[in-house]
Amino acid sequence: MKKYIFLSMLTAGYLFLITPFTTYMRSKPFIEKLGYVPQAEVLKFVAADQKVFLADSLVLKSLFYFGSLAGRSGAELVLPPDYFSLYKTIETAVKLDPYNLDAYYFAQAVMVWDAKRVKEANALLEYGTKYRDWDYQLPFFLGFNYAYFLKDYQNAAKHYQKAADLSGEPLLAKLAGRYMYESGQTDLALAYLSTMEKSARNAAIKKEFQERIAAFSAVKRIETAMADYKRDFGTVSRSIDELLRKGYLKDLPVDPYGGQFFIDESGQVRSTSKFAFHVEKSAGNRGK
Amino acid sequence: MLSVARVTLKGVFRDRVFQGIFMAALLFLFIPSVASLSMRQVTELSISLSLSLISFILLLLAVFLGGASLWKDMERRYSFSVLALPIKRSDYLLGKFCGVALFLLLTVLLLWAVTSLVVFFASGIYPSPRPVAWHYLFLAVFYDSLKYILLVAVAFLFSTVSTSFFLPIFGTIAIFLVGSATQEAYDFIHTPLAKDIPAVVKGAATGLYYILPNFTAFDLKLNAIYGVQVSGQGLLLTFGYFLVYTAIVLFLATVVFSRRELK
Repeated sequence: MKKYIFLSMLTAGYLFLITPFTTYMRSKPFIEKLGYVPQAEVLKFVAADQKVFLADSLVLKSLFYFGSLAGRSGAELVLPPDYFSLYKTIETAVKLDPYNLDAYYFAQAVMVWDAKRVKEANALLEYGTKYRDWDYQLPFFLGFNYAYFLKDYQNAAKHYQKAADLSGEPLLAKLAGRYMYESGQTDLALAYLSTMEKSARNAAIKKEFQERIAAFSAVKRIETAMADYKRDFGTVSRSIDELLRKGYLKDLPVDPYGGQFFIDESGQVRSTSKFAFHVEKSAGNRGK
Repeated sequence: MLSVARVTLKGVFRDRVFQGIFMAALLFLFIPSVASLSMRQVTELSISLSLSLISFILLLLAVFLGGASLWKDMERRYSFSVLALPIKRSDYLLGKFCGVALFLLLTVLLLWAVTSLVVFFASGIYPSPRPVAWHYLFLAVFYDSLKYILLVAVAFLFSTVSTSFFLPIFGTIAIFLVGSATQEAYDFIHTPLAKDIPAVVKGAATGLYYILPNFTAFDLKLNAIYGVQVSGQGLLLTFGYFLVYTAIVLFLATVVFSRRELK
């Protein structure tokens, strides 16, 4: 009898502790959850024959972390992503397993858009092309990054050509040339995002692409209205209100990131959200 | 020697080691689910996880069977009764080694079959643009088994010099960890980054590289996962390395065991 009372007391103690314990674990910042990730050079020494497994674990941890941010309320992120730790984790993963496509895909899907770490992502992707020399996806990502973010059309064309050669899809080679003008940037982004969204398997990543496609589709609607206006009046429209008033836009396009669209001095469509979710200031934002 | 190997193999089965392996192998059931979390490489992740699990199971077997087999016989005084028979000590030791090595090979065969099923199933969920390199998968598992058989030989060597259970177990784990890192260390000291490292340290690292077993050579995981070409010459050299290194370790073990005073 005494044994059962003792066991009941222990079980009650466990139940008493488990909820605050779980809350504490959930609230830990990413870098603490992941633990300190030593440099890949050091990990290679201690990982013995489990280097690839270690790389897989790091990528999955990054993915789970990013997926956990999907608990967004309205247009706000519940917690700001710790992009710096994410980037370092992914970098370590590819040094342990330079063939890991998930790592490169994650870097491309998340790091270039949200963290604006295009040059770092490109460095990772170029490192990857040395190993995955059969894969068209990495040069395809690189071509897009050079064309869209860095406006380096020479490098973009080089990578798109490589993607075309590897995939046997000659259309890819024409991408950089076709969209090299500012007016074609939205089309370039939409073409790229649609390709990525269709093949995205992870729910959080897919949602990320869908939101961005929605934002760029809205921009495209405004750009089309502006082009119609210019055709009719010979001048550039200076405000979205004007386009609405004169019937070039049926309704006000919605920015999924919660911002307001406007036309800047150079005639480009921008949003006050800068196409990123507003982040609540809270503890745990260590990423810079 | 063959009868000792047979008895050892029977003993391993009698100790219900297979049940332990079966428990660990249950993890294979979860591999397709975990692999499906991958964004772009479900098949590759399933191969990676399966090979990692095989390596882990083989490591446990090599350390515990290799480290405990001889020690347990001496502790239970089975060795005395066996060695009272007209059998050489070296034959007794080699027989025991062959029994453990054979058990490892049987386990590998079973785990390879399970892995093939898991990978076949996972590749059905999300086929990879590159077909699964089944022959590389087999080679990766086979060379993994050679690596752990070599580790069993190291564990036997420790068992012959030790009177305690701890040296063979911890010594084998230490050799495994160091032997898996010597190639990295050797490569590192030959890079410009290592120019400030004292010559003594470099010399010690080079010495250890040649003396300790090089387990990195047996690791064909990346080749199996991504279908990266394996060098035929490399495979032959590694196989030769395995035969010669294992023979040297076993020779030393038999010499020490023959001179050992059994009380």
